[in-house]
Amino acid sequence: MQILKIIVNHQEHQVLVEPHETLAHVLREKINLTGTKLGCEQASCGACTVFVNGKAVQSCIFPALRAEGAIITTIEGVADKNKLHQLQEKFVEKGAIQCGYCTPGMIMTTLDFLKENPTPTTEEIREAISGNLCRCTGYVKIVDAIESYVKDENTQVSDKYKMVGENRPYIEAKKKVQGTADYADDIKIKNTFYCKFLRSTHAHAKISNIDTLKAKKIKGVRLIITGKELPVKFGVLPISQDETAMAVEKTRYIGEIVAAVIADTEAIAQFACEQIKIDYAPLKPFFDMEESCEDIGENEKIHSHVKFNNNIHKKAELRFGNQQEGLEKAYFKIKEKFDFQGINHGFTEPHAATAYWDENGLTIITATQVPHYLHRYLAKVMEIPMNRVRVIKPYVGGGFGGKSDPFPHEMIIAYASRVLGKPVRVRFNREEVFLTNHGRHPTKISMEMGVSASGKFEVLDADIIIDGGAYGSFGVVTSYYNGVLLQAPYKIDNFGFRTRRVYTNKPQCGAMRGHGAVNSRYAVETIIDRLAEEINMDPCEMRLKNFLNEKTLTVGQYRITSNGSVESLKKVMELSKWKEKFRKLPEGHGIGVACGFFISGSALPIHWNEYPQSVVHLKVDLDGRVLITSGASDIGQGSDTMLAIIVAEVLGLSLDNIFVVAADTTLTPIDLGSYSSRVTFMAGNAAKTAAENLKEQILNAVSLLHNIDKAEINFEHEKVFTNDGKLSLTWIEAIENATRKVGALNSTGAYNSPKLGGDFKGAGAGLSPSYSFGAVITEVKVDVATGHVKVVDIWGAHDAGKALNPLAVEGQLEGSWHMGLGQAVSEQMKFRDGLLVNSNLVDYKIPTAKDIPSIHTNIVETIDLEGPFGAKECGEGAIHPIIPAVANAIYDAVGVRVTSLPITSEEVLKAINKKNKNLETVNQ
Amino acid sequence: MIAEKTYLLPTSINEAIAFAKKHKGNFKYLAGGTDVMVNKFQGNNTSGCLIDITQISELKGISKQGNFLRIGALEILEELKLNSNIKTEFPMLIEAALAVGSPLIRKTATIGGNVLCENRCLFYNQSEWWREAIGYCLKCDGDICIATGGKNACFSELVSDTAPALIAMDAEIEIVDVDRIKRIKLEEIYTGDGVYPRNLSETAILAAIFLPLNRGFKTVFHKLRERESLEFTSLTTAVALDATGKLKVALAGVDPKAVVVEGTFNDNKADLIKKAVKGSRAVDNDMYSRKYRREMISVYLNKSFEILCKK
Repeated sequence: MQILKIIVNHQEHQVLVEPHETLAHVLREKINLTGTKLGCEQASCGACTVFVNGKAVQSCIFPALRAEGAIITTIEGVADKNKLHQLQEKFVEKGAIQCGYCTPGMIMTTLDFLKENPTPTTEEIREAISGNLCRCTGYVKIVDAIESYVKDENTQVSDKYKMVGENRPYIEAKKKVQGTADYADDIKIKNTFYCKFLRSTHAHAKISNIDTLKAKKIKGVRLIITGKELPVKFGVLPISQDETAMAVEKTRYIGEIVAAVIADTEAIAQFACEQIKIDYAPLKPFFDMEESCEDIGENEKIHSHVKFNNNIHKKAELRFGNQQEGLEKAYFKIKEKFDFQGINHGFTEPHAATAYWDENGLTIITATQVPHYLHRYLAKVMEIPMNRVRVIKPYVGGGFGGKSDPFPHEMIIAYASRVLGKPVRVRFNREEVFLTNHGRHPTKISMEMGVSASGKFEVLDADIIIDGGAYGSFGVVTSYYNGVLLQAPYKIDNFGFRTRRVYTNKPQCGAMRGHGAVNSRYAVETIIDRLAEEINMDPCEMRLKNFLNEKTLTVGQYRITSNGSVESLKKVMELSKWKEKFRKLPEGHGIGVACGFFISGSALPIHWNEYPQSVVHLKVDLDGRVLITSGASDIGQGSDTMLAIIVAEVLGLSLDNIFVVAADTTLTPIDLGSYSSRVTFMAGNAAKTAAENLKEQILNAVSLLHNIDKAEINFEHEKVFTNDGKLSLTWIEAIENATRKVGALNSTGAYNSPKLGGDFKGAGAGLSPSYSFGAVITEVKVDVATGHVKVVDIWGAHDAGKALNPLAVEGQLEGSWHMGLGQAVSEQMKFRDGLLVNSNLVDYKIPTAKDIPSIHTNIVETIDLEGPFGAKECGEGAIHPIIPAVANAIYDAVGVRVTSLPITSEEVLKAINKKNKNLETVNQ
Repeated sequence: MIAEKTYLLPTSINEAIAFAKKHKGNFKYLAGGTDVMVNKFQGNNTSGCLIDITQISELKGISKQGNFLRIGALEILEELKLNSNIKTEFPMLIEAALAVGSPLIRKTATIGGNVLCENRCLFYNQSEWWREAIGYCLKCDGDICIATGGKNACFSELVSDTAPALIAMDAEIEIVDVDRIKRIKLEEIYTGDGVYPRNLSETAILAAIFLPLNRGFKTVFHKLRERESLEFTSLTTAVALDATGKLKVALAGVDPKAVVVEGTFNDNKADLIKKAVKGSRAVDNDMYSRKYRREMISVYLNKSFEILCKK
């Protein structure tokens, strides 16, 4: 240990550091400046950027001792006392912040480069921030914010009393730009031990012996746990309880946890893990999804509980109409095979958690999208009642489905802290995030579609295999979604599918943005493009001709309420000048279209009970501030702000009178979590009902006291009044009136989806109280010599029902299109014999700010009758159309179709060469 | 128990080399750190002693020395663009420097570090646990090359973007060691053996890079990468033509060393390209396939020659 003297944000520090310690570690762990974030620890995400002697460095690779005597500025030192830096103000105002985890690094990098180049072009801004990865925003609003700062534009302040429909920065945005918003790994509980894992090096093997003797002897090691101590099974779905906290008896993928060490420091825990010796007896591994469908002979199944002698986890099959007849009737048919690689969520904040026990039982602070499910399964695995478990979700650095399962690490630290009687903390490195995965399933699809001579869709048949990896996760739902979510946005009477989800010896797959339907949507939308060409019809016209109406039922009895498909498609056709460009652009330059739809929350809950899907409580006391408590999990999508807006709207308040406490299972009523795009619709409706109930209480009291008819009383601008002036109360006065004799007011609101759907098995899959719709057109340039695809423009439109907060809705759409673009052209999880080869942010290629084209974002509003103020989902559906739109544009550009994702340069070039060869043959 | 570590900050080359002698076998020189610190994090580098050379002023500065421009090894990649001599005489070096990683990385990374950066391979640049899981490869004391499925040679790639640019422009380097200073052509330090990719003694320090002035270079630089930032190269091609018609091609990303082909502008370009492709021992150790990268050598060089003709 050496003494390091540094001046950080004008304050002198002397700290003891290890010789090879990084500056990031010193700042976060020893000086407690946790605004400096760690996303990769390999200088490939930029989240840890700070200034050392005025220059930007990535502190995760900066040796602390090099900073001796240096003047360091972290994000916490950017604001001038209580006044935000103007750039921070711009990030807040422009909605450049979603999860906020990349924000500190992004701001530091920007401040640094603006010193050299105070008047950059848009391209220069994109270049400058291209070493800072953001997974939420698609960089659109970040670039907006920087441009607005550079131009010194006046800050646009929203009218504090306008709520629904007004652009509203997140309520926590100021904390996020200052680096003071605490994420799971930023919260330091006293006297904490650290946990590290030993992970399996075998894909499928019996564990014959675990020798922990050497590790136990290491000074500072407090506890070593192996699988047998935590045998209780769990899984997010009650029907897939197939996972344990650690491998018990056998391992099912390379990377599965086989032992955990809890020690005084992370370094000791890590070192001790390396001293544990495991003897494995290898079993035949299964890596290929098609092989997993077959009888496996004498070999051992991955899970003994599956029905037959194969590794099929779930078969889902539904058929409507008569597909045979549809195929016979069709004027033209296309059958095609597709192949999709797995995709990781790529959220910027690695999983982290701290657990401790006290007189109230277990408390865990963890990066989760689903506090309620974790609550249930911690109780199950710890074998204690739910009243002994408290789950707290702090700020979460993105999820996208990747934090929507109860996780082994959460079970392990809960158990370890119980044994040790002290808090236990864990944080993942990026490799562990990738190994934990739960991302989009690798998929193989065989799909056939037929169309009539006039362009009506006659039939759709899909046979799908999805590679679930080693455990169940959301896989049963994914299996259905791959098929059922093809029954819209087009009317197709003869429709059917079969999906088989298989176990393989790879990290498990689960839910990811656009859950289940992203790959099959790609297949449908690219086939439609081909069908349109075959019958010589414009693909937009063909889509317009086949859209479902509003207020209708699909073939599988989904109740379609509002439907903005036509408006969305027409909007992007007009803005992109579709008619002038389609099939008319020069060689190598093309335009493509696709559409999509998605659920606004699943109508059926995961746990079949009568408890509402979301409950919101309100409390108001003499101070007039309305406390909203809700189990809804804000993971950067802005749900806390959404709740505040709805309650403020109903009560005529500004946000000064709103306080949100969310996602703490002891303090807040249950919400099922942030998945399936359910939160705005369900928690939003619950909040609206709760606010209306509170309003009713105040109305009753005021009306009685002042003898005025309730119908005459208005709530606006923090006043309670009648138009004729007879009543004119401030909000505080009204609350004083209403609390007389009764004290603080409380109200509750709950949401339950109406009963929907048919009476056949599987009818519940994909049912939702409302559906979103959308369309995307992209323009691409393809280098015919290299096959490289550059997406140059995106026009997107999405029917979000009603944008409660347009700034947030746009952010969701732009983020979806960014993520889709990654899957379209650059992202894939690449395996070699079951081992993930690219588990880092260099080789797993999330698009940088330079890779994202200009995006033209359009919100279409159809005012859904059941949505809160007409709102529907906007966080997932938009990812569906972008990927096939890129593929269709590539076809328009160079006349080739790539039926696998990602569409790498290599695949495009291969297809171009093949096409040219075929042409030569024809010409000969 | 966890071994004691040291961190040393010499202020002169001599002091650095003295430290190096003392810690021989268990140290690593550290400049920008964008390569070394990541390799330490991954466990690819486990040296107990880091000798941080960034305080050594002899390793800094850009100046004319005779017929050469001397660039100190510690010059920061992102700052090369500010030097007027480089801008006018060697713009390809700026292109190459700005193709490295991301702006954030380039603000820390040095030109010396980039030229000497460790060879990469998808099966080597992984955590200690990962390498154990796949079975250690030749580059980490294993018996076979994992990427090729068993060859007895290591094909980890040279991924420097500046090295091919410098080599194409006939750069020389000055190396200081315990007992001598030597000046050699840059390409001579690359061995072609992925395990020991540079024939530099452990204690040697790259002090400076020398580029020949007044050669009237016309140059073309290309880098193959999937994203427009944050990428190591999968193929870098640098082509330089001087006023006398001498043509030099250097490639990185497709072989453990820089692949160099020399000729004249009047030579048959197809032959030069064939030589370059033949000299590249690319294997499937990159997110792009070996086949595609080799194919791209021809595409990039053809494109480069076309551009040169128009210059």
